[in-house]
Amino acid sequence: MEIWNTIINTALMGTDKKQISASELPAALGEYAPLILENPAKDKEDKFLQLSALLLNYRLCGSKPPRKETSLAPAEAEQKSYCNEGGLEVLKDILIEDNFHLLNFWLKHCTEKQVIVMPELVPVLLAKATEHKKLQYLVADCCGKRGEWLGKLNTAWNFSSTQTGEELWQTGSFEQRKEILRQTRSIDPAKAREWVQQTWSQEDAASKTALLEILADNSSSTDIPFLESLDTEKGKKVKDMANQLLKQIPGSAIIRLYEKLLSESVQLKKEKALLGMMSKTTLHCKLPENIDDAFYKTGIDKLSNKKELSDDEYVISQVLEFVPPVFWENRFQLNPEQIIDLFQKDANGKKLIPALVRAITRFKDARWAIRFMEQSQVFYIDIIPLLNDQQQEQFSNKLFDRYPDDIIQYATRRKSEWSIELAIKILRHAAKNPYQYNRAFFSQHIHLLPVHMVGELERCTPPEEHFRSGWSNMSDYIMKLTSLKIQTIKAFTT
Amino acid sequence: MNLTEDQILTLAPDESSKKSGKDLANPSKWVSRGASENALWGECQGSGSKPYQTQIDTANIAFKCSCPSRKFPCKHGLGLLLLYARDKKNFTVSAEPAWVTDWLAKRTEKQEKQAEKKSKPVDEAAQAKRQQSRQAKVSEGIDELSSWLKDIIRNGIISIPEKGAVFFENMSRRLIDAQSPGLAGMVNSLAEINYYTEGWPTRFMDQVLKIYMVIEGYRNSADLEESLQQDIKTRIGFTQNQDELKEQPGIMDTWLILGKQVTETDNVTTEKFWLYGTSTDQYALLLQFIIRGQGVQFNLTPGMFVQAELVFFPSAIPLRALIKRQVATDEVSHFKTLDNWQSVAEIETRLNSVVPFRTERAFIVRQLTPVQYNQQWWLKDMENNIVPLKTDYRHTWKLLALSGGQPIDMAVVGMEDQFEPLGIWQDNAYKIIQ
Repeated sequence: MEIWNTIINTALMGTDKKQISASELPAALGEYAPLILENPAKDKEDKFLQLSALLLNYRLCGSKPPRKETSLAPAEAEQKSYCNEGGLEVLKDILIEDNFHLLNFWLKHCTEKQVIVMPELVPVLLAKATEHKKLQYLVADCCGKRGEWLGKLNTAWNFSSTQTGEELWQTGSFEQRKEILRQTRSIDPAKAREWVQQTWSQEDAASKTALLEILADNSSSTDIPFLESLDTEKGKKVKDMANQLLKQIPGSAIIRLYEKLLSESVQLKKEKALLGMMSKTTLHCKLPENIDDAFYKTGIDKLSNKKELSDDEYVISQVLEFVPPVFWENRFQLNPEQIIDLFQKDANGKKLIPALVRAITRFKDARWAIRFMEQSQVFYIDIIPLLNDQQQEQFSNKLFDRYPDDIIQYATRRKSEWSIELAIKILRHAAKNPYQYNRAFFSQHIHLLPVHMVGELERCTPPEEHFRSGWSNMSDYIMKLTSLKIQTIKAFTT
Repeated sequence: MNLTEDQILTLAPDESSKKSGKDLANPSKWVSRGASENALWGECQGSGSKPYQTQIDTANIAFKCSCPSRKFPCKHGLGLLLLYARDKKNFTVSAEPAWVTDWLAKRTEKQEKQAEKKSKPVDEAAQAKRQQSRQAKVSEGIDELSSWLKDIIRNGIISIPEKGAVFFENMSRRLIDAQSPGLAGMVNSLAEINYYTEGWPTRFMDQVLKIYMVIEGYRNSADLEESLQQDIKTRIGFTQNQDELKEQPGIMDTWLILGKQVTETDNVTTEKFWLYGTSTDQYALLLQFIIRGQGVQFNLTPGMFVQAELVFFPSAIPLRALIKRQVATDEVSHFKTLDNWQSVAEIETRLNSVVPFRTERAFIVRQLTPVQYNQQWWLKDMENNIVPLKTDYRHTWKLLALSGGQPIDMAVVGMEDQFEPLGIWQDNAYKIIQ
């Protein structure tokens, strides 16, 4: 309305500088304007305010909403059915609890059941997925067509779009690309590597490093040509990352180089013992003469910084860490038990055991891991994750009293639920260490606690009076979280 | 009483109460649970030696609990009501125990005492003297406000953004001294304008002109109709004796609570309840002011139906009301809609022509669709008329998710060119958006 702009312009400048005349007013107000403007009892401010008030009312009374042919393509009809009322109520409780693991647990069940959430919960889930990127695929699946539709309207939520993995890899944001690469690497490692190779020349150094980091998962000898071709990369970080990956893949040039060095440096020798009545096999460690300086540029230090290791032993221990344990089987024509036995009994071998353990974990050699756990007099906690669930349980229970915190640390990395026996041990220990194993700890690891644990919580109460009240509160909290787990299971099984 | 979990949770004073209330909606937390026609009760084992006694007047949605919490309703009240909403079978139907009947009796007694208090004679001479003194103070305050407004207009409003909140606070304080809290609030709202956004001069002038109309109206009250005089007095801050008001005949109806808006200033929480009378097709606004630590007069939750007699405050366009009498109801009633934004504009025109300084109102409009236009969200009716959503509206995505781009019947609150959705109807159920 033109006249309203005149009012505003006059107000901005002030009535000392500008006035409104009757001629500027709409004809409809012609009858009233003189009554105001010609009133001698009123000053110019009053006259302006009265005219403006009249115009405000004129504006408000004549206000008509604009007509626009604008439209929004509606969301497609859902193909899946909605989750039942019970499931949705649990979801709301989980969202109030703000627990990532329980939400992940709920979404997995929802996806498995092939149902979706009610529309009113879609925005809150999409917002959660922007916060926790790992949930994006599950959330997209549980939000159905409504989620896809909202994703088109809000770019931050467009992970719920129906793009194929490859399309997402080519056109998505860097976070989305990393996530889809991570997922593809876990199910089809060769395809993931091919994707990286296709776009390699267009990536910047930081992206290259980040993408190589993802390729560390499920690496194999088929990655070697690509990784070795990166030797010509300009970026030091990219090259270092590629070398780091190559040091994890048996058969790579660098590992072959290390194996060659170990073949030349570590020998088995038979020596006489007990005044020549018996013989024993010992390990001899000596580096060959004239090692090329280029060898040391692969990340191996020449001089020992450990007093128990000579320079030669130190170099050998570093190299041993990057050689697959199976190398020793071929080298000595012995089985793992015999080799472990040899290392444990030999003075030189003992010094190399930590490096051998690191090799077992680096190459994730489960066969060696179980042998080592059975034979070793020293407990190497890093080996536990290489064992299968049953073996992990067995060793965790066996060794818990000696290394409770280490066992708990590894138990929290497991993907499957703890056994009741292990859970009781952990809870009993936690009950006596409330500052270390607080609410945040249980909130983060509730997915690992078996639901049948609820009945056992009281049994975990510490005998010490001063721990009891704290544990009672903690039990209530664990019970609450477990109850959400139970309700989730129930909602999706009925 | 048929409340959903979401409706019960809107009664919670804060997020942590919602969470704790949900935790307590578990039969194992309650030593005893009972229900009768008028009440719910339960005993909850807390940290004390004796269980807390929690009771709910289901007819009027009132809570009482023996726990020491200052929150209202406390987590035990919420937990008990949630538990009842989840499964009524958790409660034994029986006669109320003594501690519940005592409380219910005390509530009735209190209401009766209030009625008695009303009948006490007032000293009319003293009252007249007080009124005279107040009117004098108000007139003085209005004169100062008028000069202040004229100074602004004379010098131009271009420099207003630089003046800061103190400029308005000083005038507002002066008006409080002049016993004109309503005007003080109107002046304070000038400080709340975002002077960094386009269009601030219009928003500023709209409010200045409303203040001007109120003060000029007050000065010329004698020429106005009594109902309009009441509107002016209300905007200035003259209060209405609510006890006297309750003696007036009210309107009995089944009211749907369309929405609740909560604001907090200086430890005072203001709750605005927007109601729709399903038989009378009339809208009402209930206000509740809660001072921290004190109880509330009534508990209503959006989406619920209440059968109640409402008395409207005198006005040329009645809107604000108070509850005279409320009875429990499980009734779910139907509603009428306005056809389009044009119908809303026509009603607004009629209202503006009667009270040009009026405030926002609620409307139920048929088949609105959220659409995007000029990088802003609008609500489009079936005739393609569009009205923008309030710029600070926080629930746009929930609204979109519910609508899915399809038209839906919607309850909105606002005026002229800014509306905020309160709830929608879907599958014959009213869903609140908050």
